[in-house]
Amino acid sequence: MSDSNNHSPMFDYQPALPISNGKTFMWLFLSTEIMFFAALIGTYIVLRFGALSWPSTHDVHLAEIWGAVNTFVLICSSVTVVLALEAAKKNNPSSAKGWMLLTLVLGTVFLGIKMFEYRAKFSHGLYPQSPHSQIYEKPDVYYAQAVRMRLLDLKKSLLEKTERTEAEEERIALIDKISLDWVEPAEKAIRKKPDSPEGRKLLFMLSDKIYPRASIHDHRAGANHAAAAGPTFTLASTAGDSASSAHPVGLNDQHPWLRLPIMIPGGNMWVSTYFLLTGFHALHVIVGLIAFAILLKMTLGPAKAGLIENIGLYWHFVDLVWIFLFPLLYLF
Amino acid sequence: MSIQDEKSLQHDDHEGHGSTSLYVSVFIALCCLTSLSFLTYFDFWRNTVPVGFSRAFMLAVSCIKALLVITFFMHLKWEANWKWMLTVPASLMAIFLMAVLVPDIGLRMQHASYERMIYAAEVPADEDTAHDTDGHDDKAHSPSDKAEH
Repeated sequence: MSDSNNHSPMFDYQPALPISNGKTFMWLFLSTEIMFFAALIGTYIVLRFGALSWPSTHDVHLAEIWGAVNTFVLICSSVTVVLALEAAKKNNPSSAKGWMLLTLVLGTVFLGIKMFEYRAKFSHGLYPQSPHSQIYEKPDVYYAQAVRMRLLDLKKSLLEKTERTEAEEERIALIDKISLDWVEPAEKAIRKKPDSPEGRKLLFMLSDKIYPRASIHDHRAGANHAAAAGPTFTLASTAGDSASSAHPVGLNDQHPWLRLPIMIPGGNMWVSTYFLLTGFHALHVIVGLIAFAILLKMTLGPAKAGLIENIGLYWHFVDLVWIFLFPLLYLF
Repeated sequence: MSIQDEKSLQHDDHEGHGSTSLYVSVFIALCCLTSLSFLTYFDFWRNTVPVGFSRAFMLAVSCIKALLVITFFMHLKWEANWKWMLTVPASLMAIFLMAVLVPDIGLRMQHASYERMIYAAEVPADEDTAHDTDGHDDKAHSPSDKAEH
Protein backbone atom coordinates (compact mmCIF):
# COMPACT_ATOMS: atom_id res chain seq x y z
CA MET A 1 0.00 0.00 0.00
CA SER A 2 2.73 2.43 -1.00
CA ASP A 3 0.21 4.80 -2.54
CA SER A 4 -1.83 5.13 0.61
CA ASN A 5 -0.98 8.84 0.83
CA ASN A 6 -2.49 9.57 -2.57
CA HIS A 7 -6.13 8.82 -1.99
CA SER A 8 -8.70 9.91 0.46
CA PRO A 9 -9.05 8.11 3.76
CA MET A 10 -12.57 7.14 2.70
CA PHE A 11 -11.16 4.48 0.39
CA ASP A 12 -9.01 2.78 2.96
CA TYR A 13 -8.37 -0.83 2.19
CA GLN A 14 -10.61 -3.18 4.13
CA PRO A 15 -9.36 -6.76 4.36
CA ALA A 16 -11.97 -9.44 3.73
CA LEU A 17 -11.03 -11.35 6.84
CA PRO A 18 -9.70 -9.71 9.98
CA ILE A 19 -6.68 -12.00 10.00
CA SER A 20 -3.36 -12.10 8.22
CA ASN A 21 -3.04 -13.81 4.84
CA GLY A 22 -0.84 -16.54 6.29
CA LYS A 23 -3.41 -17.47 8.87
CA THR A 24 -6.21 -17.42 6.29
CA PHE A 25 -4.31 -19.81 4.11
CA MET A 26 -3.42 -22.06 7.00
CA TRP A 27 -7.08 -22.33 7.96
CA LEU A 28 -8.10 -22.97 4.36
CA PHE A 29 -5.45 -25.69 4.19
CA LEU A 30 -6.67 -27.15 7.47
CA SER A 31 -10.24 -27.26 6.22
CA THR A 32 -9.07 -29.40 3.29
CA GLU A 33 -7.14 -31.52 5.75
CA ILE A 34 -10.29 -32.04 7.81
CA MET A 35 -11.97 -33.51 4.74
CA PHE A 36 -8.91 -35.58 3.85
CA PHE A 37 -8.73 -37.26 7.23
CA ALA A 38 -12.51 -37.52 7.50
CA ALA A 39 -12.41 -39.54 4.28
CA LEU A 40 -9.67 -41.81 5.60
CA ILE A 41 -11.26 -42.32 8.99
CA GLY A 42 -14.73 -42.76 7.45
CA THR A 43 -13.41 -45.43 5.11
CA TYR A 44 -11.73 -47.15 8.03
CA ILE A 45 -15.00 -47.22 9.95
CA VAL A 46 -16.86 -48.68 6.98
CA LEU A 47 -14.27 -51.37 6.42
CA ARG A 48 -13.84 -52.09 10.11
CA PHE A 49 -17.51 -52.51 10.95
CA GLY A 50 -18.48 -54.05 7.64
CA ALA A 51 -15.86 -56.76 7.95
CA LEU A 52 -16.90 -60.30 8.71
CA SER A 53 -13.95 -60.65 11.01
CA TRP A 54 -11.44 -58.24 12.37
CA PRO A 55 -8.36 -59.10 14.40
CA SER A 56 -8.20 -58.09 18.03
CA THR A 57 -5.36 -55.74 18.88
CA HIS A 58 -3.29 -58.50 20.45
CA ASP A 59 -3.70 -60.73 17.41
CA VAL A 60 -1.68 -58.21 15.46
CA HIS A 61 0.80 -57.27 18.17
CA LEU A 62 -0.70 -53.87 18.79
CA ALA A 63 -0.04 -52.67 22.33
CA GLU A 64 -2.62 -50.20 23.61
CA ILE A 65 -0.21 -48.71 26.10
CA TRP A 66 2.02 -47.31 23.34
CA GLY A 67 -0.96 -45.67 21.71
CA ALA A 68 -1.84 -44.05 25.02
CA VAL A 69 1.77 -42.94 25.57
CA ASN A 70 1.85 -41.42 22.09
CA THR A 71 -1.40 -39.56 22.79
CA PHE A 72 0.16 -38.13 25.92
CA VAL A 73 3.32 -37.14 24.04
CA LEU A 74 1.33 -35.30 21.36
CA ILE A 75 -0.82 -33.49 23.92
CA CYS A 76 2.35 -32.35 25.69
CA SER A 77 3.78 -31.12 22.39
CA SER A 78 0.60 -29.15 21.71
CA VAL A 79 1.02 -27.39 25.03
CA THR A 80 4.67 -26.59 24.37
CA VAL A 81 3.78 -25.01 21.01
CA VAL A 82 1.21 -22.80 22.71
CA LEU A 83 3.73 -21.82 25.36
CA ALA A 84 6.33 -21.05 22.67
CA LEU A 85 3.81 -18.72 21.03
CA GLU A 86 3.06 -16.99 24.35
CA ALA A 87 6.79 -16.56 25.03
CA ALA A 88 7.36 -15.11 21.57
CA LYS A 89 4.51 -12.65 22.03
CA LYS A 90 6.01 -11.53 25.31
CA ASN A 91 9.30 -10.89 23.50
CA ASN A 92 11.13 -13.72 25.18
CA PRO A 93 12.93 -15.41 22.27
CA SER A 94 15.13 -17.71 24.32
CA SER A 95 12.20 -19.15 26.23
CA ALA A 96 10.23 -19.49 22.98
CA LYS A 97 13.12 -21.36 21.44
CA GLY A 98 13.28 -23.66 24.47
CA TRP A 99 9.61 -24.57 24.15
CA MET A 100 10.01 -25.02 20.43
CA LEU A 101 12.97 -27.35 20.95
CA LEU A 102 10.92 -29.35 23.44
CA THR A 103 8.14 -29.64 20.87
CA LEU A 104 10.62 -30.92 18.32
CA VAL A 105 11.91 -33.50 20.82
CA LEU A 106 8.37 -34.63 21.71
CA GLY A 107 7.46 -34.97 18.03
CA THR A 108 10.58 -37.07 17.50
CA VAL A 109 9.65 -39.25 20.49
CA PHE A 110 6.25 -39.80 18.91
CA LEU A 111 7.86 -40.93 15.67
CA GLY A 112 10.32 -43.12 17.57
CA ILE A 113 7.51 -44.94 19.35
CA LYS A 114 5.69 -45.29 16.03
CA MET A 115 8.78 -46.85 14.46
CA PHE A 116 9.11 -49.22 17.40
CA GLU A 117 5.48 -50.21 16.90
CA TYR A 118 5.95 -50.70 13.16
CA ARG A 119 8.93 -52.94 13.81
CA ALA A 120 6.83 -55.20 16.03
CA LYS A 121 4.45 -55.68 13.11
CA PHE A 122 7.13 -56.21 10.50
CA SER A 123 8.98 -58.75 12.63
CA HIS A 124 5.84 -60.88 12.71
CA GLY A 125 5.29 -60.77 8.96
CA LEU A 126 2.51 -58.18 9.15
CA TYR A 127 3.09 -56.15 6.02
CA PRO A 128 0.47 -54.34 3.98
CA GLN A 129 1.41 -56.13 0.80
CA SER A 130 3.24 -59.06 -0.72
CA PRO A 131 5.95 -60.25 -1.07
CA HIS A 132 6.65 -59.43 2.57
CA SER A 133 3.18 -60.05 3.91
CA GLN A 134 2.71 -63.54 5.31
CA ILE A 135 -0.96 -63.06 6.10
CA TYR A 136 -3.67 -65.49 5.04
CA GLU A 137 -7.30 -64.79 5.80
CA LYS A 138 -8.55 -68.29 6.49
CA PRO A 139 -7.18 -71.75 7.19
CA ASP A 140 -8.12 -73.45 3.93
CA VAL A 141 -6.31 -75.63 1.41
CA TYR A 142 -4.49 -72.63 -0.02
CA TYR A 143 -3.11 -71.81 3.37
CA ALA A 144 -1.91 -75.38 3.91
CA GLN A 145 -0.37 -75.31 0.46
CA ALA A 146 1.48 -72.07 1.21
CA VAL A 147 2.86 -73.57 4.41
CA ARG A 148 3.97 -76.67 2.57
CA MET A 149 5.66 -74.64 -0.19
CA ARG A 150 7.48 -72.50 2.32
CA LEU A 151 8.71 -75.57 4.19
CA LEU A 152 9.84 -77.14 0.92
CA ASP A 153 11.73 -73.99 -0.06
CA LEU A 154 13.46 -73.88 3.29
CA LYS A 155 14.38 -77.53 3.12
CA LYS A 156 15.62 -77.24 -0.43
CA SER A 157 17.96 -74.38 0.37
CA LEU A 158 19.27 -76.30 3.39
CA LEU A 159 19.81 -79.49 1.42
CA GLU A 160 21.70 -77.63 -1.28
CA LYS A 161 24.52 -77.00 1.15
CA THR A 162 27.22 -79.62 0.91
CA GLU A 163 28.45 -79.23 4.45
CA ARG A 164 25.80 -78.69 7.05
CA THR A 165 26.27 -77.67 10.62
CA GLU A 166 24.50 -79.40 13.46
CA ALA A 167 22.07 -76.50 13.75
CA GLU A 168 21.16 -76.85 10.10
CA GLU A 169 20.56 -80.57 10.51
CA GLU A 170 18.25 -79.72 13.38
CA ARG A 171 16.41 -77.30 11.15
CA ILE A 172 15.84 -79.98 8.53
CA ALA A 173 14.55 -82.31 11.23
CA LEU A 174 12.17 -79.65 12.45
CA ILE A 175 10.89 -78.96 8.94
CA ASP A 176 10.23 -82.68 8.47
CA LYS A 177 8.48 -82.88 11.79
CA ILE A 178 6.16 -79.96 11.01
CA SER A 179 5.37 -81.39 7.59
CA LEU A 180 4.64 -84.85 8.94
CA ASP A 181 2.83 -83.96 12.13
CA TRP A 182 0.80 -80.96 11.06
CA VAL A 183 0.71 -80.13 7.37
CA GLU A 184 0.24 -83.57 5.85
CA PRO A 185 -2.58 -84.79 8.11
CA ALA A 186 -4.51 -81.59 7.53
CA GLU A 187 -4.06 -81.65 3.77
CA LYS A 188 -4.95 -85.32 3.58
CA ALA A 189 -8.07 -84.97 5.68
CA ILE A 190 -9.41 -82.02 3.71
CA ARG A 191 -8.60 -83.75 0.42
CA LYS A 192 -10.42 -86.91 1.46
CA LYS A 193 -13.52 -85.07 2.61
CA PRO A 194 -13.59 -81.50 1.30
CA ASP A 195 -15.06 -78.97 3.71
CA SER A 196 -15.40 -81.59 6.41
CA PRO A 197 -15.19 -80.35 10.01
CA GLU A 198 -12.32 -82.77 10.73
CA GLY A 199 -10.20 -81.38 7.93
CA ARG A 200 -11.04 -77.79 8.81
CA LYS A 201 -10.19 -78.45 12.40
CA LEU A 202 -6.77 -79.83 11.47
CA LEU A 203 -6.13 -76.82 9.22
CA PHE A 204 -7.12 -74.54 12.05
CA MET A 205 -4.80 -76.38 14.41
CA LEU A 206 -1.96 -75.99 11.92
CA SER A 207 -2.48 -72.25 11.69
CA ASP A 208 -2.76 -72.05 15.45
CA LYS A 209 0.48 -73.97 15.90
CA ILE A 210 2.30 -71.50 13.65
CA TYR A 211 0.72 -68.25 14.82
CA PRO A 212 -1.55 -68.61 17.86
CA ARG A 213 -3.86 -65.65 18.08
CA ALA A 214 -4.31 -64.04 21.45
CA SER A 215 -8.05 -63.64 20.94
CA ILE A 216 -8.54 -67.37 20.48
CA HIS A 217 -6.44 -68.32 23.48
CA ASP A 218 -7.63 -65.62 25.79
CA HIS A 219 -11.13 -65.76 24.58
CA ARG A 220 -11.48 -62.17 25.08
CA ALA A 221 -12.60 -58.98 23.82
CA GLY A 222 -13.50 -58.26 20.36
CA ALA A 223 -12.04 -61.52 19.35
CA ASN A 224 -13.13 -62.34 15.87
CA HIS A 225 -16.34 -60.89 14.85
CA ALA A 226 -17.23 -58.33 17.40
CA ALA A 227 -18.68 -56.31 14.58
CA ALA A 228 -20.60 -59.06 12.87
CA ALA A 229 -22.07 -60.49 16.05
CA GLY A 230 -25.55 -59.64 17.13
CA PRO A 231 -26.56 -56.87 19.48
CA THR A 232 -26.19 -59.20 22.44
CA PHE A 233 -22.46 -59.43 21.95
CA THR A 234 -20.49 -57.74 24.66
CA LEU A 235 -16.83 -57.40 25.33
CA ALA A 236 -17.27 -59.56 28.37
CA SER A 237 -15.13 -62.62 28.10
CA THR A 238 -14.30 -65.67 30.09
CA ALA A 239 -11.73 -65.50 32.82
CA GLY A 240 -8.12 -64.94 31.95
CA ASP A 241 -5.69 -62.19 32.62
CA SER A 242 -5.92 -60.44 29.32
CA ALA A 243 -4.37 -57.25 30.58
CA SER A 244 -1.07 -59.05 30.93
CA SER A 245 -1.23 -59.41 27.14
CA ALA A 246 1.30 -62.22 27.13
CA HIS A 247 1.31 -63.41 23.56
CA PRO A 248 1.01 -67.13 23.09
CA VAL A 249 4.13 -68.51 21.47
CA GLY A 250 3.92 -70.20 18.08
CA LEU A 251 6.37 -71.86 15.73
CA ASN A 252 7.17 -68.53 14.08
CA ASP A 253 8.12 -67.09 17.46
CA GLN A 254 10.15 -70.09 18.55
CA HIS A 255 12.00 -70.30 15.24
CA PRO A 256 12.03 -66.88 13.58
CA TRP A 257 13.89 -68.26 10.55
CA LEU A 258 10.81 -70.26 9.58
CA ARG A 259 8.67 -67.24 8.62
CA LEU A 260 5.75 -69.49 7.79
CA PRO A 261 2.49 -68.08 6.43
CA ILE A 262 0.23 -66.91 9.22
CA MET A 263 -3.53 -66.95 9.44
CA ILE A 264 -5.33 -63.87 10.73
CA PRO A 265 -8.98 -63.41 9.73
CA GLY A 266 -9.37 -59.86 8.47
CA GLY A 267 -5.61 -59.42 8.83
CA ASN A 268 -4.96 -58.01 5.36
CA MET A 269 -7.58 -55.33 5.71
CA TRP A 270 -6.28 -54.52 9.16
CA VAL A 271 -2.68 -53.98 8.05
CA SER A 272 -3.80 -51.93 5.06
CA THR A 273 -5.95 -49.57 7.08
CA TYR A 274 -3.55 -49.40 10.02
CA PHE A 275 -0.52 -48.51 7.94
CA LEU A 276 -2.47 -46.12 5.73
CA LEU A 277 -3.96 -44.15 8.63
CA THR A 278 -0.91 -44.10 10.87
CA GLY A 279 1.37 -43.62 7.86
CA PHE A 280 -0.42 -40.50 6.66
CA HIS A 281 -0.49 -39.19 10.19
CA ALA A 282 3.23 -39.88 10.61
CA LEU A 283 3.91 -38.01 7.35
CA HIS A 284 2.11 -35.00 8.79
CA VAL A 285 4.20 -35.29 11.93
CA ILE A 286 7.39 -35.31 9.84
CA VAL A 287 6.30 -32.16 7.98
CA GLY A 288 5.59 -30.50 11.33
CA LEU A 289 9.02 -31.46 12.64
CA ILE A 290 10.68 -29.93 9.56
CA ALA A 291 8.73 -26.72 10.16
CA PHE A 292 9.87 -26.66 13.81
CA ALA A 293 13.47 -27.23 12.77
CA ILE A 294 13.24 -24.23 10.42
CA LEU A 295 11.65 -22.11 13.17
CA LEU A 296 14.48 -22.99 15.55
CA LYS A 297 16.93 -21.17 13.28
CA MET A 298 15.03 -17.89 13.66
CA THR A 299 14.85 -15.40 16.47
CA LEU A 300 11.45 -16.09 17.90
CA GLY A 301 10.35 -12.60 18.89
CA PRO A 302 6.96 -10.88 18.49
CA ALA A 303 7.65 -10.40 14.77
CA LYS A 304 7.55 -14.15 14.31
CA ALA A 305 4.45 -14.70 16.47
CA GLY A 306 2.22 -15.00 13.40
CA LEU A 307 4.44 -17.65 11.87
CA ILE A 308 4.61 -19.62 15.11
CA GLU A 309 0.86 -19.43 15.42
CA ASN A 310 0.31 -20.77 11.90
CA ILE A 311 2.68 -23.68 12.36
CA GLY A 312 1.14 -24.24 15.78
CA LEU A 313 -2.31 -24.46 14.18
CA TYR A 314 -1.01 -27.15 11.89
CA TRP A 315 0.55 -29.02 14.78
CA HIS A 316 -2.65 -28.88 16.85
CA PHE A 317 -4.47 -30.34 13.88
CA VAL A 318 -2.00 -33.23 13.76
CA ASP A 319 -2.71 -33.75 17.47
CA LEU A 320 -6.43 -33.60 16.73
CA VAL A 321 -6.25 -36.37 14.16
CA TRP A 322 -4.37 -38.59 16.59
CA ILE A 323 -7.03 -37.96 19.24
CA PHE A 324 -9.47 -39.77 16.93
CA LEU A 325 -7.05 -42.36 15.62
CA PHE A 326 -6.04 -43.60 19.06
CA PRO A 327 -9.41 -44.97 20.22
CA LEU A 328 -10.39 -46.10 16.71
CA LEU A 329 -7.25 -48.09 16.07
CA TYR A 330 -6.28 -49.23 19.53
CA LEU A 331 -9.40 -49.46 21.66
CA PHE A 332 -12.35 -50.24 19.39
CA MET B 1 -1.96 -4.05 4.09
CA SER B 2 0.72 -1.93 5.69
CA ILE B 3 2.93 -3.25 8.43
CA GLN B 4 1.19 -0.94 10.83
CA ASP B 5 -2.20 -2.31 9.82
CA GLU B 6 -0.97 -5.80 10.30
CA LYS B 7 0.43 -5.02 13.69
CA SER B 8 -2.75 -3.42 14.91
CA LEU B 9 -4.69 -6.28 13.42
CA GLN B 10 -2.58 -8.81 15.21
CA HIS B 11 -2.94 -6.85 18.37
CA ASP B 12 -6.73 -6.93 18.13
CA ASP B 13 -6.64 -10.51 17.15
CA HIS B 14 -4.71 -11.66 20.13
CA GLU B 15 -6.33 -9.58 22.73
CA GLY B 16 -7.98 -11.52 25.51
CA HIS B 17 -6.06 -14.74 24.82
CA GLY B 18 -5.70 -17.36 27.45
CA SER B 19 -3.02 -17.36 30.05
CA THR B 20 -0.46 -20.04 30.78
CA SER B 21 -2.55 -21.32 33.68
CA LEU B 22 -5.51 -21.77 31.33
CA TYR B 23 -3.39 -23.79 28.92
CA VAL B 24 -2.08 -25.93 31.75
CA SER B 25 -5.60 -26.66 32.98
CA VAL B 26 -6.67 -27.60 29.43
CA PHE B 27 -3.63 -29.88 29.29
CA ILE B 28 -4.63 -31.57 32.56
CA ALA B 29 -8.18 -31.99 31.29
CA LEU B 30 -6.86 -33.60 28.09
CA CYS B 31 -4.70 -36.00 30.09
CA CYS B 32 -7.64 -36.97 32.31
CA LEU B 33 -9.83 -37.58 29.26
CA THR B 34 -7.13 -39.73 27.65
CA SER B 35 -6.90 -41.88 30.76
CA LEU B 36 -10.71 -42.10 30.79
CA SER B 37 -10.80 -43.60 27.31
CA PHE B 38 -7.85 -45.83 28.20
CA LEU B 39 -9.97 -47.25 31.05
CA THR B 40 -12.05 -49.08 28.47
CA TYR B 41 -9.03 -51.27 27.80
CA PHE B 42 -9.08 -52.96 31.18
CA ASP B 43 -10.97 -56.10 32.05
CA PHE B 44 -13.20 -54.62 34.72
CA TRP B 45 -14.56 -52.21 32.13
CA ARG B 46 -14.90 -54.82 29.40
CA ASN B 47 -16.72 -57.14 31.76
CA THR B 48 -19.27 -54.63 32.90
CA VAL B 49 -19.90 -52.19 30.07
CA PRO B 50 -21.58 -53.21 26.79
CA VAL B 51 -19.38 -52.72 23.77
CA GLY B 52 -21.77 -50.30 22.06
CA PHE B 53 -21.80 -48.01 25.04
CA SER B 54 -18.06 -48.33 25.37
CA ARG B 55 -17.51 -47.19 21.79
CA ALA B 56 -19.95 -44.32 22.07
CA PHE B 57 -18.18 -43.28 25.24
CA MET B 58 -14.77 -43.34 23.57
CA LEU B 59 -16.00 -41.26 20.64
CA ALA B 60 -17.64 -38.78 22.99
CA VAL B 61 -14.38 -38.45 24.92
CA SER B 62 -12.50 -37.92 21.64
CA CYS B 63 -14.95 -35.23 20.56
CA ILE B 64 -14.59 -33.40 23.87
CA LYS B 65 -10.80 -33.58 23.57
CA ALA B 66 -10.97 -32.31 20.00
CA LEU B 67 -13.19 -29.43 21.06
CA LEU B 68 -10.81 -28.49 23.86
CA VAL B 69 -7.86 -28.44 21.47
CA ILE B 70 -9.74 -26.42 18.84
CA THR B 71 -11.22 -23.96 21.29
CA PHE B 72 -8.19 -23.17 23.39
CA PHE B 73 -5.00 -24.33 21.68
CA MET B 74 -6.13 -23.25 18.23
CA HIS B 75 -7.52 -20.04 19.73
CA LEU B 76 -10.92 -20.33 18.08
CA LYS B 77 -12.55 -19.15 21.29
CA TRP B 78 -11.07 -15.71 20.75
CA GLU B 79 -11.48 -15.43 17.01
CA ALA B 80 -14.06 -13.29 15.23
CA ASN B 81 -16.98 -14.70 13.26
CA TRP B 82 -14.84 -15.68 10.26
CA LYS B 83 -14.09 -18.91 12.11
CA TRP B 84 -17.54 -20.26 11.26
CA MET B 85 -17.04 -19.59 7.59
CA LEU B 86 -14.01 -21.85 7.42
CA THR B 87 -14.80 -24.56 9.92
CA VAL B 88 -18.52 -25.17 9.40
CA PRO B 89 -18.43 -26.02 5.66
CA ALA B 90 -15.43 -28.30 6.15
CA SER B 91 -17.07 -30.07 9.07
CA LEU B 92 -20.32 -30.43 7.13
CA MET B 93 -18.46 -31.98 4.22
CA ALA B 94 -16.75 -34.36 6.62
CA ILE B 95 -20.07 -35.35 8.19
CA PHE B 96 -21.74 -35.82 4.79
CA LEU B 97 -18.88 -37.99 3.74
CA MET B 98 -19.36 -40.19 6.79
CA ALA B 99 -23.13 -40.22 6.27
CA VAL B 100 -23.00 -41.48 2.69
CA LEU B 101 -20.87 -44.36 3.89
CA VAL B 102 -23.47 -45.44 6.44
CA PRO B 103 -25.54 -47.65 4.06
CA ASP B 104 -22.39 -49.62 3.46
CA ILE B 105 -21.95 -50.22 7.16
CA GLY B 106 -25.57 -51.23 7.51
CA LEU B 107 -25.75 -53.54 4.53
CA ARG B 108 -22.35 -55.15 4.26
CA MET B 109 -22.06 -58.68 5.49
CA GLN B 110 -25.74 -59.04 6.21
CA HIS B 111 -25.49 -62.22 4.22
CA ALA B 112 -22.26 -64.11 4.13
CA SER B 113 -21.71 -67.12 1.92
CA TYR B 114 -21.53 -70.55 3.46
CA GLU B 115 -17.96 -70.85 2.22
CA ARG B 116 -17.00 -67.69 4.09
CA MET B 117 -18.80 -68.84 7.18
CA ILE B 118 -17.13 -72.20 7.50
CA TYR B 119 -13.71 -70.71 6.98
CA ALA B 120 -14.34 -67.76 9.24
CA ALA B 121 -11.39 -69.04 11.21
CA GLU B 122 -12.98 -70.37 14.30
CA VAL B 123 -12.36 -73.88 15.48
CA PRO B 124 -15.09 -75.77 13.63
CA ALA B 125 -17.59 -77.35 15.96
CA ASP B 126 -17.64 -81.14 15.93
CA GLU B 127 -21.32 -81.59 15.44
CA ASP B 128 -21.89 -79.37 12.45
CA THR B 129 -21.51 -82.07 9.80
CA ALA B 130 -25.09 -81.64 8.67
CA HIS B 131 -25.08 -78.01 7.81
CA ASP B 132 -27.87 -76.05 6.30
CA THR B 133 -27.02 -73.86 3.38
CA ASP B 134 -28.23 -70.73 5.06
CA GLY B 135 -24.91 -70.79 6.72
CA HIS B 136 -26.03 -69.63 10.10
CA ASP B 137 -24.95 -72.74 11.94
CA ASP B 138 -21.37 -71.74 12.60
CA LYS B 139 -22.29 -68.30 13.70
CA ALA B 140 -24.80 -69.67 16.13
CA HIS B 141 -22.03 -71.09 18.26
CA SER B 142 -21.03 -68.52 20.75
CA PRO B 143 -17.33 -67.93 21.34
CA SER B 144 -17.53 -70.18 24.35
CA ASP B 145 -17.68 -73.39 22.35
CA LYS B 146 -14.82 -72.54 20.11
CA ALA B 147 -11.19 -73.18 20.77
CA GLU B 148 -11.49 -76.58 22.25
CA HIS B 149 -7.92 -77.45 21.60
